[in-house]
Amino acid sequence: MTDFIFPDPETMTIAEFEQYLPDLFAATNGRVSTDPRLQSFLQKNPDCAALVRDLETIAEHAKSLFEPVYEPSDNVWDNIKIKLHQNNNEDDLPLVRPL
Amino acid sequence: MSSEGLQMTEPKPVPGLFKRNPPIAGEAEAIEAAKAGDAEAFSKLYALHKRRVYTLCLRMLGNVSEAEDMTQEAFLHLFRKIGSFRGESAFSTWLHRLTVNLVLMHLRKKGLNLVSLEETINPSEEDAPKRDFGSRDPQLSGSVDRVALERAVASLPPGYRMVFVLHDVEGFEHNEIATMLECSTGNSKSQLHKARLKLRELLRQPEQLTQQTGLQEAAR
Repeated sequence: MTDFIFPDPETMTIAEFEQYLPDLFAATNGRVSTDPRLQSFLQKNPDCAALVRDLETIAEHAKSLFEPVYEPSDNVWDNIKIKLHQNNNEDDLPLVRPL
Repeated sequence: MSSEGLQMTEPKPVPGLFKRNPPIAGEAEAIEAAKAGDAEAFSKLYALHKRRVYTLCLRMLGNVSEAEDMTQEAFLHLFRKIGSFRGESAFSTWLHRLTVNLVLMHLRKKGLNLVSLEETINPSEEDAPKRDFGSRDPQLSGSVDRVALERAVASLPPGYRMVFVLHDVEGFEHNEIATMLECSTGNSKSQLHKARLKLRELLRQPEQLTQQTGLQEAAR
């Protein structure tokens, strides 16, 4: 991997911006829109600014998906219990004292 | 499932994950009791972490049946290895890493190229995000409906989905993802970017999302 060299925003084209965007997100810790080095470029290129805002919105909202909202069926624990007790004589599972 | 090749050493503490994984009341006692083979402690650990593990599996696999199987495997693996947990990292971090590794190993065994690099580097015309700087959509600039985002993530090609879930949802860094998926950090960044572009496209065109979700459900 080569280290990313932050581009010169004064000379950067829209195509270059597009090409650099994955690295820009990584280099700014996901905060491209507020990075002072990119302010003038984004002001001059509102479509790029809109794209950045959208991608930041998606990344921000993705964090809300971290909280678990789904529950496995009861079968999962039933199967685990069966396997734990089936394997009581095997070395690789702990010896389980019955409930 | 064989545990061959599965890294079971405790991961180094990752500040981001620690913030998201605060200690849980009664967990430490349950861990110690489980190490001694206390079945009730196993039950408690399962109850504490089942939703987290299952949700992670479901997001990574996009399939209820497989997600339940992997949840089962993750807990069986956990119970086998709990004696080696020394508390150097949060238990939930340890379990989380264990689950991710198991799912990735499962996908490799299935022959699904991880991060489906071929697919994500050369995605089909339909899957590839479109380059679109114009036609701003004000709806996305404000907020994204969680349900719509869930559906959009589920409809991503597997490779895009994997990197997006690991980075944006689960909080892994690019270098960690690169190690897990055996790709370069540059590749991880690129896949994440493509995933976000694809999500943007899907969220701006709800009818496309409905269509893709319908097709996927029909294929299952």
